[in-house]
Amino acid sequence: MQSLPAIPNILKLKKGTGSPRNFRDNLIIFLFLLPAIILFLLFVVYPIFQSIYYSLFNWKGFGPAVDFVGLENFKNIIKDKVFLIALRNGFLIIALSLFVQLPLSLMLAVLVGRDLPGRVFFRMIFFMPYVLSEVIAALMWLFILNPDPERGFINAILILLPGVKAQAWLGNTDIVLISVFAALTWKYFGYHMLLFLTGLQNIPQEVEEAGRIDGANTFQNFFYITLPLLASTIRTSVYISVLGSLQQFILVWIMTKGGPVNASETMATYMYRFGFVRFQLGYGSAVAIYMFLICLVFSLFYQRLTRQPDYLTGI
Amino acid sequence: MSRKIYMILSVLLIAAFAISACAPQATAAPDRPAATDAPAQPAATDAPVATEAPTEKVTITWWHISTADEHKAVWQKMADDYMAAHPNVNIEITVLENEAFKTKLTTVMQSGEPPDIFQSWGGGVMNEYANAGLLKDITADLDADGGAWRNTFAPGALGVYAYKGENYGVPWDMGMIGFWYNKELFAKAGIAAPPTTWTELLEDVKALKAAGITPIALGEGDKWPGMHMWAYLVTRLGGKANFEGALLRTGSFTDAPFVEAGNKLQELIALEPFQDGFLGATYGDEATAMGNGKAAMELMGQWAPAVEKDNSEDKKGIGDNLGWFPFPMVEGGAGDPGDAVGGGNGFAIGKNASPEAIDFVKYLTTAGAQQALVKINVAIPVVKGGEVGMSDPLMITLQQSLAQAKYFQLYYDQALPPAMGSVINDSVQGIFAGTLTPEQAAQAIEDAAKQELK
Amino acid sequence: MTKSKFAARFFQYLILSIIVVIVFIPIVMLIFGALKTRGELLSHPYALPIPPRWENIISILGKPSYSFWPMLRNSLFVMLSVTFGVIVICSLAAFVFARMEFRSKGWAFNLFTLGLMFPINIAILPVYFVLRQMDLIDNLWGVIIVQTAFQLSGNIMILRGFFTAIPAELQDAAYIDGCTAFDFFWRILLPLARPALAAVAALTMIMSWNDLLVPLVVLNSDKLWTLPLGTMQFQGQYGQDLSLVSAFVAISALPTILFYLIAERQIVSGLTAGAVKG
Repeated sequence: MQSLPAIPNILKLKKGTGSPRNFRDNLIIFLFLLPAIILFLLFVVYPIFQSIYYSLFNWKGFGPAVDFVGLENFKNIIKDKVFLIALRNGFLIIALSLFVQLPLSLMLAVLVGRDLPGRVFFRMIFFMPYVLSEVIAALMWLFILNPDPERGFINAILILLPGVKAQAWLGNTDIVLISVFAALTWKYFGYHMLLFLTGLQNIPQEVEEAGRIDGANTFQNFFYITLPLLASTIRTSVYISVLGSLQQFILVWIMTKGGPVNASETMATYMYRFGFVRFQLGYGSAVAIYMFLICLVFSLFYQRLTRQPDYLTGI
Repeated sequence: MSRKIYMILSVLLIAAFAISACAPQATAAPDRPAATDAPAQPAATDAPVATEAPTEKVTITWWHISTADEHKAVWQKMADDYMAAHPNVNIEITVLENEAFKTKLTTVMQSGEPPDIFQSWGGGVMNEYANAGLLKDITADLDADGGAWRNTFAPGALGVYAYKGENYGVPWDMGMIGFWYNKELFAKAGIAAPPTTWTELLEDVKALKAAGITPIALGEGDKWPGMHMWAYLVTRLGGKANFEGALLRTGSFTDAPFVEAGNKLQELIALEPFQDGFLGATYGDEATAMGNGKAAMELMGQWAPAVEKDNSEDKKGIGDNLGWFPFPMVEGGAGDPGDAVGGGNGFAIGKNASPEAIDFVKYLTTAGAQQALVKINVAIPVVKGGEVGMSDPLMITLQQSLAQAKYFQLYYDQALPPAMGSVINDSVQGIFAGTLTPEQAAQAIEDAAKQELK
Repeated sequence: MTKSKFAARFFQYLILSIIVVIVFIPIVMLIFGALKTRGELLSHPYALPIPPRWENIISILGKPSYSFWPMLRNSLFVMLSVTFGVIVICSLAAFVFARMEFRSKGWAFNLFTLGLMFPINIAILPVYFVLRQMDLIDNLWGVIIVQTAFQLSGNIMILRGFFTAIPAELQDAAYIDGCTAFDFFWRILLPLARPALAAVAALTMIMSWNDLLVPLVVLNSDKLWTLPLGTMQFQGQYGQDLSLVSAFVAISALPTILFYLIAERQIVSGLTAGAVKG
């Protein structure tokens, strides 16, 4: 078939060299990308632009948008104490995710490891919360956290310990965020654990054995050999974790609606309350834009920090 | 190998197609054009030619939130009966859960095509829709034939579904909030009779606490249960004139009664009358506590006994032990002690509704229809003759109390624009949590009012 | 086993078991809830359901008014269509981003990452508007298209990363042998990417099966409802029958769990294959 003309193709298809002139290649690029681009433009790009448009108005969500207020919504949002609380909570959840959930998932991935008998069983159990819907996870956690020891499982166990009282997990403004975070961790740690398991599987066992032969103990082996090799997986986990934390809505809304008195407010619950409950969709759209910008800034920051592409694993 | 995957997926997909093809599927919705063609049709459908196949079908879309089995069945039966009597009419019912309904309605309103008939609580939310031209003005239909339809309704209830003098919906249920109490627990604490004044209420709370009984069940996590307490205090202290003044902007939401209500509320909160963790509790928790006899009273609307029963361990609630008394009068208050705070349910009419849809709503609000609802205890009737067959003595007391009220105040979070209602809910929760003073709460509400009630 | 290895193993199993218990608590409560009456569930949620009330499950599976089987069919149809669509569209797009060069490539790829950053609750309003223009309201295809669109960004990223890791030498060898880009894609790349595709399929299936917002907004006719919408039947204005909700949810979750159990080995073990290390 094509022998000589194929050679220029090789050069063009290597990454980072020139651009294709071949008509067939151009056609392939166009056709392959077409369905994704169409869907994306219609259902992602267009809504973003629409939201930008509406964020400049005082708009109830129906009828024509006529009350143009420019950047007023944006200014008012920053001035609102509740939004600042939501912002703070967002960062708290991110911090907790990175310093509690991530190490937990990593530790479990290592514990389950690649040769533990019964590892398949453990993997399956740990992933199960992810498979359930957020709605049902929230409802079940509402049950478990009930302040009445006769009805809340956690309190029932807690009062068995001497001197410990039942807590109002979702009623106490000091601990409500922790309670919500516990539910979030329960739901998502299995997913991150799976990420790490995949990353671990891709580390050749010879490398770790070499380390052991050289006299490193388990801890040294882990910190100096395994962890660096897991870097790309950790980066991916962090990326997904941060974006997910910032947009967390259903679990929080069903458990606390952002309360009590805004103690567990996130940007997503704040946005929903203004957009859908208070019929102030212009304002709500502006909140969405803020969320979007924050995610965008983080994304750019992340890309800058992690210049090299991920070779070891695709996920 | 990849071929195999695509093959398997394709086979699965085809199988799914096949399976789903067995289930009847509605696809596109070409109904709305038919509904808007309506004006030409009434003449044709009135023709009493039974053999003529109905050529122009009218479709009515109806969204309601009565998911309870019995209730849903009653609505369905009414729709079926109507369709049997009017073969050219097709009624499509969508049953939604409360929160889901509000979300879905918002998207549909944004597109400007509301359903023909949908659940409404009247007041501020409905007013917004009317203002945006999304509802149909049915004042003419109500006034037709010398007000034939209008006169069947209790005027106070019907008024809730009016905006600037025009009617955009009709009620099918209207009740009031009052104290539901456990007679046995009251007796145990040595309380002879329910309190009639605020001071007596506080005394009773102390007595209950001394007897080791939780005085009041409150699900303040949901915010609205506590808001009703504040609303009643405002109504007792300031009365109709006060609220209307603030609403019409001749007064303000920082006027004395609004602040004083917060002070009185703090008096109550200081006695610690609620169950542990009430700030994060839901209304469901509140009803469960009452239904299982764990709390002495709750301030709640007319649905309270039904929910208490459903949530109780034995599905019976506290049975005959349940009593009802109206919110006590507050000493020094300018409001009439008989004023009622309450709300109910009704139908709002979408702007595209056909005359058939309005005719169907008339059918849904006949005395017979109301009696069917009363029988399954889901409504307090608003239509004359609907109360026939009302057997529950508590409901009868409630209804009479409501009928005698000189002033009816719709729940604040319905009466006012939704943005304000949400602020009131949040601010009152702040008073309960001790994070807001009564003055701050009132100010927050006033700020929202300045924005919304221009 | 040496003593230290035994201690290590014991320690491992201990921690893992504790976590299993913690993970299981809500799931066990769900199952308990399914087997109790509403009142029992609300008053004593964590007591053993004795006697187990099978009537919840029986009525859901049996009563036609609960529409369980039609909803199952609808959910299945949507899930399979969305998964098929996502796999096809995303692998095509990821291939271009990973293995081909063109001027605006970086810009176009970054465009797709935007999809991960915009909150869906606000996006749903304009989306509804677009669907209305396309007359896809109250139509399962409307749900399918929107769910597919929302899944594009994440999965293109995953697949692109995976495709990038496939060595260039493989590609060169293929072209020397006379393959076109499409041949390379179809005959070589995709088979190698099977584990990643399986992972994408699994994640998409879970998302689609559990999605509540899109079907809620798009569908009106209850003949078209998917399973998540079915729980609404048990939730009233003033309270919900949590035992029926639990039963319904437990049964609805079974297919995903079953699928996951079957596919799990494929997903995880496939990723260990030496194919990528070449």
